[in-house]
Amino acid sequence: MPSSFLALTSFKDKYSTSPSSFQVSSGREVMENSAPLQESSLAPSNGTLGNSSLSPSIVTDHMCASALPHVQHSHNPAFISQSSRDLASLPPLDASFSQSTASLIRTQGNKDVSWSLDRLQMFLDLPENTPAPNQLVESSTGVLASEDHNKKTNWQEWADDLINVVDPDWSKILDNTNVLNPRVEVPKPSGDISKQQPQFHQNQLVPHGEFSSHAYPSSTAPPTKPRMRWTPELHEAFLEAVNQLGGSERATPKGILKLMNVEGLTIYHVKSHLQKYRTARYMPETSEGTSEKRITSIEEMKSIDLKTSIGITEALRLQVEVQKQLHEQLEIQRNLQLRIEEQGRYLQMMFEKQKKVEDEKGGVPSSASDDLLAPLPGSKHPPCNNGKSDSEALEQDHSRTGIGPGNAGTNEDKSSSGVSTKQKMLETESTVHDESGFSVSKRARTEK
Amino acid sequence: MKFGKRLKQQIEETFPTWRDQFLCYKELKKLIKLISSALPIAAEPTKYGKAEAEFVYMLNNEIDKFNTFFMEQEEDFIIRHKELQQRIKRVMDKWSSNGSRTEYNDEMAKIRKDVVDFHGEMVLLENYSNINFTDNGWEFVRLAKILKKYDKRTGGLLRLPFIQKVLKQPFFTTDLVSNLVKECENTIDEVLFPIEEDKEETKEQKGAIMVATEPVKGIFRNTVAALLTMEEIRRVSSTKDHFSLPPLNLSHSHLIHSFQLNSPIPIL
Repeated sequence: MPSSFLALTSFKDKYSTSPSSFQVSSGREVMENSAPLQESSLAPSNGTLGNSSLSPSIVTDHMCASALPHVQHSHNPAFISQSSRDLASLPPLDASFSQSTASLIRTQGNKDVSWSLDRLQMFLDLPENTPAPNQLVESSTGVLASEDHNKKTNWQEWADDLINVVDPDWSKILDNTNVLNPRVEVPKPSGDISKQQPQFHQNQLVPHGEFSSHAYPSSTAPPTKPRMRWTPELHEAFLEAVNQLGGSERATPKGILKLMNVEGLTIYHVKSHLQKYRTARYMPETSEGTSEKRITSIEEMKSIDLKTSIGITEALRLQVEVQKQLHEQLEIQRNLQLRIEEQGRYLQMMFEKQKKVEDEKGGVPSSASDDLLAPLPGSKHPPCNNGKSDSEALEQDHSRTGIGPGNAGTNEDKSSSGVSTKQKMLETESTVHDESGFSVSKRARTEK
Repeated sequence: MKFGKRLKQQIEETFPTWRDQFLCYKELKKLIKLISSALPIAAEPTKYGKAEAEFVYMLNNEIDKFNTFFMEQEEDFIIRHKELQQRIKRVMDKWSSNGSRTEYNDEMAKIRKDVVDFHGEMVLLENYSNINFTDNGWEFVRLAKILKKYDKRTGGLLRLPFIQKVLKQPFFTTDLVSNLVKECENTIDEVLFPIEEDKEETKEQKGAIMVATEPVKGIFRNTVAALLTMEEIRRVSSTKDHFSLPPLNLSHSHLIHSFQLNSPIPIL
């Protein structure tokens, strides 16, 4: 424990100023996006780091960066580039509010796909449909020699050998290479893209198991391999491959991997998935290892006569009803939470825009904001740059519906065209977030 | 947060593999205390910084943990879902054309139960995701509030990107599980439950049956607990503001409440 504290201190010191280090500012991301692939070519030299690059945590990214400068930039594009793109691609808030948030998320997902394809076209001057064996190669190629086709053939042979040998160390390094360049993939025939993209979208967010285990051993059982997020489509492909190879007993991970031919899929993923599959097949519906209990229940069922078995059906029906309700409620709750966060994000953007304008004006903050605020109509409404009526209504909602002590103060401040309108906006956002964003748990807390 | 803890206890009882998959409240609490004690001492910025960094680091670890667990479960669900569908198909092909009604019924009964349990597990996983998101967010909100007192800028701004990040995490993006649940529900509605002719069974008898079958009880009990907890939370919050959820109107509400008696952990 003490050692981890020391480690953290050194990271913190190296990284100097505190508040900005935690922010994910779009300007910074854009800069870092520009040269990720070249930098990440250094990655294979350190197998351990491969996993650590995909930490979802912003802070840890920075920490990694300060301690390991030569792979600094390779960490960021995986995650931060995504978030910057998401911020940039955020549709206007009034539109998003009239849709459901589910569709919003879908939109972002689509943009992920198109963005990564564009990116790919940029960095690899390759035709759309390349033959299968090159798949694994292309990503390595992209890393080490972005537009050089000649090197490709050498890599092809090398990569083919790797796949055949399945030497753990090499595979691991290859994994890391792939894993560090989730966006670098040659687009396969269209049918496969949909199944690939989701996994890579998620692949970026996998935990950096090894790093966390060294610095903070207590809480997690760290996975040593980057996690793959399986989808039904991917599973279908898996099943096809297994069936072609003669069933789950006969099929080998290596064979399956080759047949499936999916970018970024490693033999470890396939192995563990195959294991799960075998278990599921031969012990159908063992709920969480309670196989003994299950046998008991079946026996009970058999001993019950027909009349009662109808009762069981009814009971099951009831169970489903209850479960359906829970599901529905969870969906509602989740959508609500997403919308609230949307709002907060929007406000944050407004705030930042405001700040930029103010910075450009270059005056003392307080007087500058006075200048900005004075000509605006209705001091009650916080300044909206794009002046959409929906967003204004939103902010009105905020001032009206903020809860508790913060509310009254906020309203008063808004009614006076003051210095700190911006600050109040921020505070409103925080208040709303603190209070209503997590109103569910807040209520729970007050219940204490 | 208290509610999350209760549910956590209950779920961990039923599903041992879910143990330690929830937020580690104790350790986070310790850190928060450390931070709040460190803050007044303006002369010790390093201690404060350390604690804060440690806290954020810990939350990140928790997120990693959730993600891993969630994705494992998700993978299992995908496999099982497919298997169930194939099973159904097999049974239907095999028995429905033949005359043997009883065997068909037996097989279907088994499948029905399995599908319902499967559905229940998935919903509980969604619930898990929700709890963790809320709790995680709540922990962070707590941190942000503490920080806000001493550094307004940090407190406000630190939170938002973090939460946005959490929103994108696999464990919170439950669309896949949600789709599986919906498919399951469709299967259940269309295929598995033929129109019942007579419903003579009394509710108490149903209750007795529910108690009798162990795995069903586990999942069902947890589902009931989750719903009741939600209802409780939302009953309290219904008066407060536009953003809180409306009070829960559960059908079979009285019946659900009656199932509480089976639970060793008092919910209300």
